[in-house]
Amino acid sequence: MKLLGAILIVLASTWAGVEWSRTVSERSRQLRMLKSALQSLEAEIVYGMTPLSVACGHICRQVGHPVSWFFDSFRKKLEEGHSTAYDAWMKSMDEVWKYTAFKSEEKEIMKQLGATIGQQDREHEQKQLQLALIHLEREEQEARNNQMKYEKMFKSLGFLGGVLLVILLI
Amino acid sequence: MEEVLRVLPEGVKNIIKRYSNVERGGIEEIRIRINRPLEIIINGSPQFPQVDGREYFISREDASQITNKLSQYSLYALEEELKKGFVTIQGGHRVGLAGKVITLNGNVKAIRDIASFNVRIAKQKIGIATPLLSYLYSGGWMNTVILGPPNSGKTTLLRDLTRLMAEGYPKRSIASSKVGIVDERSEIAGCVHGIPQHQLGKRVDILDACPKAEGMMMMIRSMSPEILIVDEIGGAKESEAIIEAVNAGIHLVVTVHGSSIEDLYRRPSIQELIRSGMFKRIVELSRSSGPGTIKAVKDHKGNEIRRTKVI
Repeated sequence: MKLLGAILIVLASTWAGVEWSRTVSERSRQLRMLKSALQSLEAEIVYGMTPLSVACGHICRQVGHPVSWFFDSFRKKLEEGHSTAYDAWMKSMDEVWKYTAFKSEEKEIMKQLGATIGQQDREHEQKQLQLALIHLEREEQEARNNQMKYEKMFKSLGFLGGVLLVILLI
Repeated sequence: MEEVLRVLPEGVKNIIKRYSNVERGGIEEIRIRINRPLEIIINGSPQFPQVDGREYFISREDASQITNKLSQYSLYALEEELKKGFVTIQGGHRVGLAGKVITLNGNVKAIRDIASFNVRIAKQKIGIATPLLSYLYSGGWMNTVILGPPNSGKTTLLRDLTRLMAEGYPKRSIASSKVGIVDERSEIAGCVHGIPQHQLGKRVDILDACPKAEGMMMMIRSMSPEILIVDEIGGAKESEAIIEAVNAGIHLVVTVHGSSIEDLYRRPSIQELIRSGMFKRIVELSRSSGPGTIKAVKDHKGNEIRRTKVI
């Protein structure tokens, strides 16, 4: 009976540790999604010359939540008609940002991108997008390092915490 | 008009809405220039409408709103249009642009900082070519040159002629034909994404924004038109393509700048075409009683078949 209880405690705490570590990996997962979304946007702009609203319609079907929510909301705002694309971009960011695992660095990068989106010729749009991608790449590196560091730690912390509890209770 | 209102900023839109339907029908151009008053040209005379006792000055905000609406918030999508200096919007209307020009190796690359917009309202005058039917059709359409100075209604007449050819004219048992248009300046059909915005009949194929000489050859090779429509011919290459088309058994209707047949004889590449007699009809237009005045219809030898009549 004691043994069964001990196993249950260890299992539960390990599971908690895994869940905890997932929140750490979520940021780098979403960063990857955002990067691939911006890469699609670059292709749509440079090769397709697709208007932003149409391009965002394509993108939100390609990437997963919550990044797709941002592009969907941006598309809807453009179709409704806003004073500028920047305005629509910022409003969509305000709406969707709270559902993402992004930090303030990503917000700053996206803000900068939004300031010029749709207002320049193809070359400059491409340069801006590539700049944003480079910045995001750096953030992703950092997020991945954190993930490597903390993911294992949280997992082992969960397991070892369970073991500690069992030892204390025995 | 609805399509035009859609691209205008709120302030200008409200001013246009003040006009009665009759006045609105007479609007030819809406001119929008940053930091200068709004100008509306109605039936040839300029007007500077007033709001609260002052002329309505266009702000930078107004201009950026138009740019945004024209480009659907995506300026890069207008690259071609910014190079050509105009955007065709739904309804075949056209917005001319002026501002700071960016050049690359001496060629215009784009217009940046757009400061002037000229919204030209397109008006299709359905039926203006009907009185010409009996001169241009006998058992088949004849190769025709429409000749006139700028702003004399050449393109408008050409457009209606195209419609007649593509739709046919059952009253005189004229069957419809397959018509190919090479529309280098997007003026005949006013295409948006390749789809004509004017009523041209169902049997029309259009090469929009295509260079004329090349476009004619493309049409002949791939679209098997019975009639080819080309606007403002002039170059030697175009003449070659015209000879090719006529020899392929295709009927042609073209327009040329010039005020009389003598002008044509002075232009080497066109002179040959006229002298060879492949164009059986020459329609001369003038502006003497407003755009669209038909001065004369002549045959290939230059003999008049019919004299001045206003359409």
